[in-house]
Amino acid sequence: MNVVPSVCTFCGVGCGIGLRVENDRVVGVEPQPGHPVSQGQLCAKGWSTSFAIDAGHRLTRPLIKEHGRFRPASWDEALERVANEFGVARDAAGPTAVGVISCARATNEDNYAAQKFARAVLGTHNIDHCARICHSPSVAGLVRTLGSGAMTNGIADIDLADVILVIGADVTENHAMIGARMLRAQARGARLIVIDPRRTRLARLADIHLQPRLGTNIALLNGLLQIILANGWENSAFLASRCEDTGPLRHHLSDVTPERTSAKTGIAVADLEEVARLYSQARAAYLAYGMGITQFQSGTNNVIAVSNLALACGQVGRPGTGINPLRGQNNVQGACDMGCLPNVYPGYQDASALAVQARFGEAWSVTSPVTPGLTSLGMTRAARDGALRALMIIGEDPVLTDPDQNQVAHALGALDFLVVLELSMTETARLADVVLPAASFAEKDGTFTNCERRVQRVRRAVTPPGEAKADWKILAELAVRMGYPGMDWEDAEAVFDEMALLTPIFSAMTYARLDEHHGLQWPCDAARPQGSPFLHEERFPLGKGRLLPVTNVAPDECPDAEYPFFLTTHRLHFQYGGGSMTRHSPLLEREIPAGLLSMHPDDGGALGLHDRQAVRVRSRRGELETRVRLTDEVPRGTVAMPYHFREAPCNRLTNDAQDPITHMPELKACAVAVEGLPAGEAPNAEAGAAEVIRHVHS
Amino acid sequence: MSTHELAEVERLRRHLAQSRRLYEVRDDGQGGRHWQEVGPKDFTPLEPEGDPPPFSAKLFFFAERELLFRFDGGQFYSSLPEVRPQAIFGLHACDLQAIAYQDRFFAQDPHYQARRHATLLVGVECRESCSNGFCSLVESGPLVGDGLADLVLVRRDDARGWWLRVGSAAGAEAIRELRLPTNLDGCQATRESNAARVALAQLHDRELLDGVAALNAGQVSADTWETLGTHCFGCSGCTQVCPTCSCFAPLEQVGASGEVQHERVWDSCLYEGFQAEASGHNPSASPGQRVQRFWLHKFGEPFREQFGHYGCVGCGRCDRVCPGGIGVHGVIGEVGRP
Amino acid sequence: MIDLTPRKLHLLDSYEDGRDARHFSFRIDFPQAHDLATMPGQFFMLAVPGVGEAPFTYVSPPNLYGHFNALIRRMGNLTDALFALRPGDTLGYRGPFGKGWPLFFSPRRVLVVAGGCGLAPLAGLIDEASREHLSSRLSVVYGARRDEDQILARERLRWKLAIPFIETLDDAAAGQRRGTPLDHFDEVFATVQPDTLLCCGPESLMLGAARASVEHGIQPSRIWVSLERRMHCGVGLCGHCYIGASYACLDGPTYRYDRFLALTGATDSCAAPALQRC
Repeated sequence: MNVVPSVCTFCGVGCGIGLRVENDRVVGVEPQPGHPVSQGQLCAKGWSTSFAIDAGHRLTRPLIKEHGRFRPASWDEALERVANEFGVARDAAGPTAVGVISCARATNEDNYAAQKFARAVLGTHNIDHCARICHSPSVAGLVRTLGSGAMTNGIADIDLADVILVIGADVTENHAMIGARMLRAQARGARLIVIDPRRTRLARLADIHLQPRLGTNIALLNGLLQIILANGWENSAFLASRCEDTGPLRHHLSDVTPERTSAKTGIAVADLEEVARLYSQARAAYLAYGMGITQFQSGTNNVIAVSNLALACGQVGRPGTGINPLRGQNNVQGACDMGCLPNVYPGYQDASALAVQARFGEAWSVTSPVTPGLTSLGMTRAARDGALRALMIIGEDPVLTDPDQNQVAHALGALDFLVVLELSMTETARLADVVLPAASFAEKDGTFTNCERRVQRVRRAVTPPGEAKADWKILAELAVRMGYPGMDWEDAEAVFDEMALLTPIFSAMTYARLDEHHGLQWPCDAARPQGSPFLHEERFPLGKGRLLPVTNVAPDECPDAEYPFFLTTHRLHFQYGGGSMTRHSPLLEREIPAGLLSMHPDDGGALGLHDRQAVRVRSRRGELETRVRLTDEVPRGTVAMPYHFREAPCNRLTNDAQDPITHMPELKACAVAVEGLPAGEAPNAEAGAAEVIRHVHS
Repeated sequence: MSTHELAEVERLRRHLAQSRRLYEVRDDGQGGRHWQEVGPKDFTPLEPEGDPPPFSAKLFFFAERELLFRFDGGQFYSSLPEVRPQAIFGLHACDLQAIAYQDRFFAQDPHYQARRHATLLVGVECRESCSNGFCSLVESGPLVGDGLADLVLVRRDDARGWWLRVGSAAGAEAIRELRLPTNLDGCQATRESNAARVALAQLHDRELLDGVAALNAGQVSADTWETLGTHCFGCSGCTQVCPTCSCFAPLEQVGASGEVQHERVWDSCLYEGFQAEASGHNPSASPGQRVQRFWLHKFGEPFREQFGHYGCVGCGRCDRVCPGGIGVHGVIGEVGRP
Repeated sequence: MIDLTPRKLHLLDSYEDGRDARHFSFRIDFPQAHDLATMPGQFFMLAVPGVGEAPFTYVSPPNLYGHFNALIRRMGNLTDALFALRPGDTLGYRGPFGKGWPLFFSPRRVLVVAGGCGLAPLAGLIDEASREHLSSRLSVVYGARRDEDQILARERLRWKLAIPFIETLDDAAAGQRRGTPLDHFDEVFATVQPDTLLCCGPESLMLGAARASVEHGIQPSRIWVSLERRMHCGVGLCGHCYIGASYACLDGPTYRYDRFLALTGATDSCAAPALQRC
């Protein structure tokens, strides 16, 4: 038995874990008491790590689909097939007809390799990953107001705050160790304020819970800002020295009044004033938000409204403050940092800038692509229209996690060729022509970047099952087959070193230095060799911060007579993503509530539903059956569903109306109808799935 | 049983490691402290003081994942672990008390006993109280109770060497070749002063006993339990690290060849599904009930009568691991307040 | 040492016996002497290979040849898999476990109250009483929601000929008795004057029947209830079936009511309201 230090992979917090290994198998985990993020604690998912990567359900050999069925194949044959198919697609329709969707759960090394493979080998900027559906509005919004899209402060800053404001984030369930730290801060005297339409655990424990109507974020944030400005509670010195002219914003807010804000959001004026006062007058106020801000068609503007509030109060650029988007996947920050986005190379270097193209072209000995790339939803659409021919998906399950499931399955079915790199057989992998077995984080060396920009090492603790390999290694071998020798790295460290050489914000990082410091927070360069615990101390990347006027936009689809309920989506403490890892734990699986649709008891009463009764949920896009859970966690008129479950995939219902700037789909609000099934009847997991299944078999 | 003089504790460790796998708590350089295998050529000095490691030694006996049986399509085959002689080196008194507790609970469990019988327990008596510990209040330390370890190390006051107390025939046999001189001069006095020092340092924790009394008198209201329950994330951390927690769940997996493997894996009574029945009925549906259950299991008089000891050995690990702040001090420390 | 490995069990046959319920016949491979000592009200762990194990009670205990019957309602993954099996398929068996019903008929007048599937664990006992002509000593009140929810149709036909057997339905048709068993307590107590209650069914029914019986003069120490709990090991180790400081797999599932009250009341003050809820 031995224990190998590593990093938990179940969310963006990046907790320290020790993998307990016996007979080349991870049998359990231990927390790391001295870890700067998790301080010796873990959530239920982290504790269940051993089940997630058990060899029992893992893919162990490459699979090739023939006549609709998978057969095992050698690496040689499978890679040759992939290389050929991508070659054929590219030759027939050009490099814009091929693309790669990378993985927010894979290592930085894997992601660096993925974007290099797309850009240097395939010759396309068609590279993206799921940040599109979690925090692309954070990046877009904060780039517009500050110039940089990451958490401005670290997790440890919570310890220094005297007010903590959480907006649209279910922190104790989804980023549990950040939630725990917030509760500890509250216990030592900090005021905890939660803004959420749902009555979450943190909301119940908070000093103040504001429960706005769904889709009124900007109205609320503008309203708070108006109260602050009207009372002179803003930080004038900060605005004068650090921000551009606030005149347009003040003008924009001139017809806002507390009463109008109250009428719009459903929150009492006194509560609005109290929160405005507490946040603006705090010595240090820590603002954190989640997908309750970003997953709207107004996602980018929502983020701008958050940023306006923080800038006006000067709650940025100091310890204990900040604008802090809580990122979902364990390495979504890293996948962005590594340039798995169509518009940037590693380190957010502009992919359309000629100098940047030239720099990477020279370093990689290729001609850099110039055509702008497609986002993942853009690639899905292009596939449906026949413009995208061949696609590689690394470790993501868009059939389950993307909005409007039927469309995604249809689009993937329309491809000439789909290859999926995966740990186990997911819904998306079932649609592939070739499936390649990937190594899990416990089976390879590499780094993850948590939501506070901390780059941390993971280490190979056990052998990959069967013939599985690290993603970067698979990509490197594929590159060789496609005639590109520039990815023939010795090991993960060599990938990291190449990346650090080309990425200024990582330039002072090495594996050895990461080990020494429990990870380092970027930017980490010659000027800041110890990394950057918080950003924007003296200036913003834009120079001065911008407060931009934004207006509330109602959700694209609101309840009406036909679809009388708002549906919002959320996550459960015990599950992660599509459950491809967590659902292998018998303990986490047991925690799945019988009723996945949360509904206020009054609404349930009006519909004559009893707790746990089977119901059919319909939207304009699809329907499903599940059981109802009557709870006052949701307000009247709003129902909520977690998105983890293939038996009741709520993204069959959600709307793909998009944020015009980032194409973030509006996953947090759509209109549905709910009807009870006859008493005693069980929900049918197949109901409404007919179309999806047809695509799977086509 | 005899007491010997031991100049160099690392010599004992190297000797024991020659004929068995030996585990000692080591820093991993990344913020973790774990039981790691230490070879016979390891000269790293023992660091006997400080907080106990995040995990007690229970994982050596009550394995977190244990194969119970296999089914090949026709027959069921029981599976006992392949054990090799091992030594757990540097166990604190609290963890030794917990092993004794589990020895009793798992007395008829062949998997536990197979692992346990292959193990030599080497304790070390603490000279100072650790940061969250209250062993002296629950009678589990700092002195190692008779018969709880095969060998017990007691550091001399002058820090020049050790006494080695032999607690079992297996312990005596394990050190026979070292031919250590017998000497117990001053040993008892040192132990008594250690006990007094630790007890004094833990005096402020006496409020915990008020909490235990309130718990057993049924004076804690259901509302109080539900308030505490809101703080329970259901992470299972407390039950993972608690050295006496013993609940398990089945995990049945079908391999590629169709063979069925039936494991038992650590479970936690704090999970909502722990008692949920297939019908949907759940006798412990609310988080408050589950939190109450956990603490009754640790401090309830009926359990103390069954096992001769509280289910809590005062190690304080639950305090460190609980994200909701409802470890032993957060619960028992609070419910006793008037 | 205990052995947690199942013994081989053969599925002999099954037939539909109530809504979503089947009546199974099994045969234990190489029955042993202790199999014959199985008492009504005890339970066994049934292993469906590849799915897992779950506790079920006997309708009839194993005979010399290892044959026994069980009534099983479809409830989840394991029973779904079980219902899909065919005669001849191999299962696993561990048992018997727990405490059965007390057997002390001769001087007593026993009232048996069962609800829904709760009749199954009492079947062996009712059988014994009806065989041994103790009809004057034992009467049964059996409640169910609707007639399709009733189980053990063949056995009930037989029992009705031998002992007083009242059936009552929540949704009764014309000519059927309406209501829960409790609704008929005044009549039953007036006619048979029981001094002992054995009860199995939903926890709310059992607690209601126990309380009503106490009001009708039965001593709490002459009332037995059979508790359902999630169980995995059957031998008091896995921890799931706790009731206060007791494990239902060792001390139950049949509990004397006064002991049950002491367990939940003395050590589990917060569980009591939960029990009343269900």
